[in-house]
Amino acid sequence: MIRSFQRACMVAVLAAALGSGAARAATVVGDLAPDFALPAVAGGNVRLSEHRGDVVLLTFWSSGCSVCAAQLDALGSLQTTYRSAGLVTLAVSVDDNVDRALRYANSHPVRFPLLLDRRKDVSRAYRIERLPTMVLIDRRGRVRFVVADYRRTDNSYVAQVRELLDDPL
Amino acid sequence: MRTANNRRWAVLLPALLLALGLAAGPVTAADPAAEPAATAPAGTAPAAAPATPAATAAPDASAAPTDASPAPGATPAPAGDASTRALDEQIQDLKQSVVDLNKDLFVLEEELLFPANTQVAVFVSMDVGEFFGLDSVTLKIDKREVSNYLYTPREVAALLKGGVQRLYVGNLKAGSHELVALFSGKGPNERDYRRGAALKFEKGVGAKYLELKISDRARRQQPEFEIKDWE
Repeated sequence: MIRSFQRACMVAVLAAALGSGAARAATVVGDLAPDFALPAVAGGNVRLSEHRGDVVLLTFWSSGCSVCAAQLDALGSLQTTYRSAGLVTLAVSVDDNVDRALRYANSHPVRFPLLLDRRKDVSRAYRIERLPTMVLIDRRGRVRFVVADYRRTDNSYVAQVRELLDDPL
Repeated sequence: MRTANNRRWAVLLPALLLALGLAAGPVTAADPAAEPAATAPAGTAPAAAPATPAATAAPDASAAPTDASPAPGATPAPAGDASTRALDEQIQDLKQSVVDLNKDLFVLEEELLFPANTQVAVFVSMDVGEFFGLDSVTLKIDKREVSNYLYTPREVAALLKGGVQRLYVGNLKAGSHELVALFSGKGPNERDYRRGAALKFEKGVGAKYLELKISDRARRQQPEFEIKDWE
């Protein structure tokens, strides 16, 4: 009885220690957004640092993620609305199977670049742990918000986008 | 048996408390409830300090009106403009000194990280580009990949305007080395095009500069890739 209690305590302590470490590792808010260049599905390459001065909405998606399709649609209309205000949306695929990602991208046409992160360098740099995850980068190139739990009914990220768009350089 | 358990607990309990303390450390720092306690010592400083900031701020505050009103008949607006201009100049000077400092730091960093006797730099230049649309360059030195650079349309346009890009800078020991550059992009008739170029070079005591030159060969209607060794 005592032994099992001891084990439970040890497990709890380890979980707490690991949990706090993971929480620290998962956040990149406040840091300068790691720069990257990735090939786009439509052709050509896209470099993040070329969009310094714009508000960048970076979203990580996968063809196997059911919520991602709905999110990409929602971001398409958001991009149309705020493009003139300086919003740039970039969607990074973390698919292992590039052909599958390409098929998915071709069947879900969107109005912003869909990028392929074949080596997973970018998703590692942004410490992506779940899909879809949105990273909002301000005009100075700093990560300001990370939205990891997308819900169709929750449009709070729109307010965050507007806040960044209202913030002058 | 019980004493053994007690001994085990005696060892485990401090470890448990220590681990909990470690785990709770960053949480309490971010915990809003813990903030008053954390800010309490800091809060005492401003409470004790007002005398000095107020004392130092007061002459400045009093000096401002006296500076702003040198002549009784003068309107306050020009004086305000002058002070704004002076402040603007100070800001510009400060910005300039930050830029200069940044430049000095960059040069110092370069000198420290890549000393002249071991430095190798590889540059990319592009001429015309009618038969080749550059997409990426992979660079290998002594069979080891040192750079894989993807070009955006803006960067290609800059190269076509005559820009030269420093693709890689690193250190190499003296002796013979091999550089391999793999170019990929769109060739004639928009076809996927991949071509390599290699150069064996001798690294001496001084810095080594190599140039990857992409040009068009009009007679063959093909792009040409050349590695130039700047002696």
